[in-house]
Amino acid sequence: MEVTLNHFLFVSGLLFAIGLAGVLVRRNVIVIFMCLELMLSAANLSLVAFSRFNLTESGGPDYNAQVFLFFIITVAAAEVAVGLAIIVALYRAKQTTDVTQINSMKN
Amino acid sequence: MPAYYLEIIVVVLGLTVLMVETFVSLRDKRSLGWLAILGLLVVLVLNFTVVETGGEGGNTPFWSFYVMDIPAQWFKGLALLATIFVILMSVDFSRVLSKGICPEVEDDGVDDCAENQVALSEFFALPIFICAGMMWMASAHHLVSIFVALETVTIGFYVIVAFMRRNVGSLEAGVKYLILGALSTGFLVYGFAWLFGVTGEMELGAIADALNAPDVHRTGALFAFALILIALCFKIGAVPFQIWIPDVYQGAPMPVTAFLSVGSKAAGFVILLRLLEPFMASEMLNANVTSVLVIIAAATILFGNLAALPQTNFKRLLAYSSVSHAGFLLMAVASAPAHPGVVSPVAAVSYYLAAYLMMTMLAFLIMNLIRVQRGDENLEAYKGLAKSSPFLAFAMLVAMASLAGVPLTAGFVGKFWVFVLALQEKHYYLVAFGVIGAAAGFYYYLKIVKSMYWDSPADAGSSAAVPVVVAWPTRIAIVLLVVGVFYFGVNPGALLSLFL
Amino acid sequence: MTLLEAIIAIPIVAALAIAFGSPTRPTAMAAAAINLLLILMAFAQYDLSVEGVYQLAGSHPIITVPSVEQPGAQSILLGLSTGVDGISLVLLLLTGLVTLAAVWVSPAEDQIKGSKRLYYLSSLLISAGALGAFCSTDLFFFFAFHELALIPTFLMIGIFGSGPNRVRVAWKMTIYLGVGSMILLAGLVALFVALGGQSLQFGDLQGWANAPAAIASASLENGIFLTLLIGFGILVSLFPFHTWAPEAYATAPTPTAMLHAGVLKKFGLYGLIRIALPMLPNGAAHWQTLLLVLLVGNILYVGYVTMAQKRFDLMLGNSSVMHMGYAFLGIASLNVIGVQGAVLLMFAHGISIALLFALNGHLRKRFGTLEFDRIGGGLGKLLPTLGLLFGFAIMASIGLPGFANFAAEVMIFFGGFAGLYSQQEGIVIGPVQIATMCAIWGVVISAVYGLRAYRNLFMGPLPDSSKERKLVDLTLAERLPLILLIVALLVIGCAPGLLIKYLIPSIENISHLAG
Repeated sequence: MEVTLNHFLFVSGLLFAIGLAGVLVRRNVIVIFMCLELMLSAANLSLVAFSRFNLTESGGPDYNAQVFLFFIITVAAAEVAVGLAIIVALYRAKQTTDVTQINSMKN
Repeated sequence: MPAYYLEIIVVVLGLTVLMVETFVSLRDKRSLGWLAILGLLVVLVLNFTVVETGGEGGNTPFWSFYVMDIPAQWFKGLALLATIFVILMSVDFSRVLSKGICPEVEDDGVDDCAENQVALSEFFALPIFICAGMMWMASAHHLVSIFVALETVTIGFYVIVAFMRRNVGSLEAGVKYLILGALSTGFLVYGFAWLFGVTGEMELGAIADALNAPDVHRTGALFAFALILIALCFKIGAVPFQIWIPDVYQGAPMPVTAFLSVGSKAAGFVILLRLLEPFMASEMLNANVTSVLVIIAAATILFGNLAALPQTNFKRLLAYSSVSHAGFLLMAVASAPAHPGVVSPVAAVSYYLAAYLMMTMLAFLIMNLIRVQRGDENLEAYKGLAKSSPFLAFAMLVAMASLAGVPLTAGFVGKFWVFVLALQEKHYYLVAFGVIGAAAGFYYYLKIVKSMYWDSPADAGSSAAVPVVVAWPTRIAIVLLVVGVFYFGVNPGALLSLFL
Repeated sequence: MTLLEAIIAIPIVAALAIAFGSPTRPTAMAAAAINLLLILMAFAQYDLSVEGVYQLAGSHPIITVPSVEQPGAQSILLGLSTGVDGISLVLLLLTGLVTLAAVWVSPAEDQIKGSKRLYYLSSLLISAGALGAFCSTDLFFFFAFHELALIPTFLMIGIFGSGPNRVRVAWKMTIYLGVGSMILLAGLVALFVALGGQSLQFGDLQGWANAPAAIASASLENGIFLTLLIGFGILVSLFPFHTWAPEAYATAPTPTAMLHAGVLKKFGLYGLIRIALPMLPNGAAHWQTLLLVLLVGNILYVGYVTMAQKRFDLMLGNSSVMHMGYAFLGIASLNVIGVQGAVLLMFAHGISIALLFALNGHLRKRFGTLEFDRIGGGLGKLLPTLGLLFGFAIMASIGLPGFANFAAEVMIFFGGFAGLYSQQEGIVIGPVQIATMCAIWGVVISAVYGLRAYRNLFMGPLPDSSKERKLVDLTLAERLPLILLIVALLVIGCAPGLLIKYLIPSIENISHLAG
């Protein structure tokens, strides 16, 4: 069986959906954060797939997307650094990482 | 001077603030705030002098990432102004800030942490870095540069929203903003991937050409549009992705809330305008895109205004008000004319955001003073303000009148052009929603006027009867904003004619 | 700076001066008096022989666009343009007179509880808003100036209002007017867009509206007219959107009630005559019957409600709503004499209702209440001057010959019956004629409640409770503003031609009106 663009897109769509579902249903902030990273990975996979199958005039892959991918990975790393720091600070203050406990602001 | 020097100068300014804090021993670190404001003012002046080069004008590949046109210059100016006001507020706010950072003091201990004004310089430096991100965003014309600029802003905001790390409200706001912000980033990136997949391009001009081609994959393009729109609706706070706004606004430190509601929204709209342009220009996609935007705009106006009605926390009220203003702005975005009229959506949105900056910053400057000196963010704290501090009460009256859209203020002109655009495109139902929303706005904005002017403080002799102290820089800022609200309300041509 | 710009600027400058510490009452009085003089000067400079243009015009372009008609040239899209024709001139005179009287009857500074500056400043701002709206020849500023009065009115009723319901009443009025003005804004913008979206100047808009098939479809034109009718109607308290008005006027402090009921409310009627009628003639014809039904509601339904009132201030508030029905009738008759009558009634009613609210204030000051039962009768013996002036005011309001109200109402009825007889068809009784007949009943109604109020307050024996009270009749200072207004009513009533000669050319200039 030949692996086509659609196979890649299907897998990346699946990853995205799993990530989104995780964000919506899980209650632990850490797990939610991991699911968010999963969504970014899904986008990365699509980008690489599109890059591999959208050939340029010279016949090579379109490296624009692959460069974009490195930007996404870098930014995601920065996001994780900041995000985990905030989550740790929250854990110190409230001794919990359960999102349902984060509800002190209600009017 | 090439335009991108501006961003470089701003980043260097941010680093300078941090360096000065490290290597120079300062008696009062608030002076770093003045340094930052001074630097930003210089950049604001330079912003008027830069040459317009971009798009086809440049000849290096750099210019496919970066454009310098009138909207870009405009939004750079807005970002700088917003940051200046935010740092000005931060200087006033520094006392409250240290309470949110420092541990509880033992009875006999000396409050070293508060004495040393720990972390204050970061609180000045981070908005400057965010400002650089916003300025870059105004010029971004390539998916990569849009993404990186947007994330610079978003990650900076994660930090300053959760800045008061011993204050549970601030932390909760930080976590909420973090999760929903990252979620929207996920949508945005996935949308970008699809947009690239459908068009094979990353530069917005080339994307526009590709989307206009007859053989474009329509479903794929609309899927990409939907993902990008979801992401940007998070950023601008449009229904149904506005859920984070009230809590984050309420929990974040006051200057950060102001920055979020003005800066972050303006940045979101500049990206929205840039990214929607190719979709709106495509004949095949135009109808679908417009109808989705109209529905979102109507829902946003309705939700923002109706949810604001019962609020008693002023910050939360302004949060819903910011949702409603996002709705009015979307009304203009959704009205891209098939045949260009006198005022384009870009001009209307730019004007509206400038007006929104003036009136919202005015409100937040005053709220900040009340928060610092009376320790209260509820409407209760404003009772009888007209008697104890008539100047602040009048300035707040002007801000509220402008937010409500009373004529001869800048806020009215914004709404006026939005209505013109929507009616030009025959969005009659949308205008009806706008009328309902604007009329509801009268109630909750005037509720604050009522508190200030009719009501007496709940208990006489409380802190509410003491006049609020206003330092002279804040006073100048307030006077300038009041004058600005009236001047640009009576003479809208002063700003709008830039776009004609 | 042209004369008209000075007229608009003076109250605003005076308000600013008061805000920054100028003595309140003298400044306000001086501003109002100078303004009245300037308005009279405007009358003198107005050239009756020139027709069809706005005179004393001045313009400050704010946004210019490439002209459609002359390529290469720039035309004004939005500008602070001012100018008057006969209609606006008459309303300026009304505003000048009522403003002076309203400032004059304002209580002395030591009697104001709360901020004295705010009290006088608000009156001046309301006046400036009305003057600006009547002078503007740009749609944007026409609307904007009217709204200038919204916040001062809200504050005045909320802070200085009387009665237990002031909070609720102020909210009700503000929400009503807010909704009304937003609907109006939508209508005005729709009109601007439908007429090409190239200019907000009245002259240009009217020019395009005069072109055949100016507005693309009949349903669009009808829709815009209806939106404008509802928007303006809410501001003028057209039945069934009138419920904000009586309570608001009863609650408002005296100068605010005088200015709002006397002047500001006329803005809606002015807008109908200035914008809706000439620019949307087919829309006006299409909705004529609806307007007639609503205005009969104003005259008869609100008329009966007025008769049932037990408090003088509420009676006045309702009566002012009722009399708006006549003005609407003049407009709905769609002929020259009817519209002339409507404008003249706007003037006459504005003066007479301001007069009545001033007297209302004097009564409230002396008795602390305005319930007929609690005041009792027989005041004519105790307060002869007040009684005399009150008699004049009530007679004027009823429409007794000799007062301007009479001339106006007669013209409106002539307008209403104008199509009654034609040589081909004999007597035709159409909707307008039926509405006019109902309106004539309204005259009886207003006579009933007016005279009854006079009898209840001033005639009959003095109740015992009043005998012990020390009641002071009007002092000279209190009399003068009232006499000013009465003289204006009598002069115009005896020689309506003084004003009508200004109205005729301007109203005949509105094409599509029957002769």
